[in-house]
Amino acid sequence: MVRAIKGTLVECDPSIKAIILDIDSKTHDIINLDESHLIIKDSKVAELKRILEERLNEHTKVDSLEEEEEEEDD
Amino acid sequence: MSAQTMKGFEQLEGLPEAVFKRLYQQPATALAIFRRMLPNLAKTFVMAMLFNPDPVPISNLEHWVHPDKNSLKEEAFAKLRQLYLVTEKQGTFALDPTFKNELRKALTGGGLPGSFGLPCDTDDKNKVDVAFLDKYATEQWESILHFMVGNEIPSFKRPSEGVVRLLLHGKLMEQSRMSSDPVITQVGFSFLLQEANSQVWTLLLLYLDMAEQVKEMNTNLWKLDLIIIICASQLRMDPVDILHFLFLLGSLELGQDYDMKNLTPTQKGMLEDLRDYGVVYQRKVCNAFEFLTRWISLITLKSSSRRFYPTRLATALTSEIRSIRSPAASLQNATSQGDGNGFLIIETNYRLYAYTSSPLQIAVLNIFAKLISRFPNLVTARITRDSIRQAISKGITAEQIIDYMTVNAHPQLRKNSPVLPPTVVDQIRLWQIEGERMKTTPGYLFKEFSTTSEFNAVCRYANDLGVLVWADHNKGNLFVSKHEQIADYIRKRAHAGR
Repeated sequence: MVRAIKGTLVECDPSIKAIILDIDSKTHDIINLDESHLIIKDSKVAELKRILEERLNEHTKVDSLEEEEEEEDD
Repeated sequence: MSAQTMKGFEQLEGLPEAVFKRLYQQPATALAIFRRMLPNLAKTFVMAMLFNPDPVPISNLEHWVHPDKNSLKEEAFAKLRQLYLVTEKQGTFALDPTFKNELRKALTGGGLPGSFGLPCDTDDKNKVDVAFLDKYATEQWESILHFMVGNEIPSFKRPSEGVVRLLLHGKLMEQSRMSSDPVITQVGFSFLLQEANSQVWTLLLLYLDMAEQVKEMNTNLWKLDLIIIICASQLRMDPVDILHFLFLLGSLELGQDYDMKNLTPTQKGMLEDLRDYGVVYQRKVCNAFEFLTRWISLITLKSSSRRFYPTRLATALTSEIRSIRSPAASLQNATSQGDGNGFLIIETNYRLYAYTSSPLQIAVLNIFAKLISRFPNLVTARITRDSIRQAISKGITAEQIIDYMTVNAHPQLRKNSPVLPPTVVDQIRLWQIEGERMKTTPGYLFKEFSTTSEFNAVCRYANDLGVLVWADHNKGNLFVSKHEQIADYIRKRAHAGR
């Protein structure tokens, strides 16, 4: 029998998916579909986006610092 | 950016059936809906049914569609049903009789004189030309934009209270605690970057929305206060009347004066507001007769001439989707932002020089660039990752930013091809993608199909409907954005199988 589940489809690179799975490792809200797709609850989307953004920004901060230094040189 | 406009029309699609049935009673509206809201294939179907007295079998219509293009067919059918244009009976389609009649009238002529606006039969003593109308429309419209970014410039007067109320209602601006004047919101910022035609539609749809709400609460307020009478241009407004008038405006001719005696009281009231937006021009006159009628009708508040001129903002309203750009562009040519007067220079090192002293333009620049210094006629700025990311977090897209810069490029920059330095354009796009590490689509996952053939059939059907987002053929999972029709389909198949 066919089953239907309400949720939000997330499409992303495998690398991003690894981070998402890591974030989810405590709660296990995610249905894993394949290497670039997964389903999460509609209510969790905003939270996931926020945490993901935070994690990614940890790596990009370096860039923005460089940028400011460059501006001081002007 | 026509996507924005289309979003506006989706809002219209949600109207109840009764409203649509009443909308179809005017040839101008029937034609505008045919031109503007139907995909091309749906237009073909409508034309096939238009002069046919009998209902047309659906299979006949299907013959016109290439078997590979099922999704287009389903889209066209869905649109026709959604707009209540067809009634379905035993495998046949019949066009809505009212719509059929009115569209015939629109195409072949006939019907009441003046159903596409009644041109004045006498000459206007103070006739105005197209150049004047363009100037008027631009001034009115820009004064609204200037007001939104919070500039009080002597040359631009403050927009009327009606306009301010509309901006507040649409959450384009909000009342701040700091000052008495409202301040712009994030929605307002992304509104500023849209091109003129979408801006006009956004405001007009907000107007419709507001008129409906006021209508609901007006009954008790009616007698309260004189102020209420002053707002009467918003009271007692029928949404169908408003839409009729908007669609009618789109079919009027620029530079022609029209008589307002054919308009309903709602529409006469609307003229007041539309004049404030610069969509129509109407000369203000004051005489004893109008003063009297004002008390009788309570609608014509400020006494005004009985003729009105549509401006370019109005006549571009229902043009074909693809040609939106051109009327808007011609308006822009007429304004100071035209081809010859671009003011932006962008260098490959992300520096931006803007030869302008207009606070509106500077405020818009500030949305996506980091301002560095300001001189009497020049502003220097820099496009940085942070400034772009900030703009994107406000809901502005990279394309909007790039479009804005291209349209306003300095003539010197225009000599280059492409106009903007490709490195900068690419980088802005990359900065946008950076934030889109994951794409989310709300919807429904279907799984555990009993047979592969069932899965394939459902998959194909979902694809034809245009709701299929993703499918995994190996595991038999599929994800759709809407489930009602799919569930029906699966049930029907199950019945047929038994």
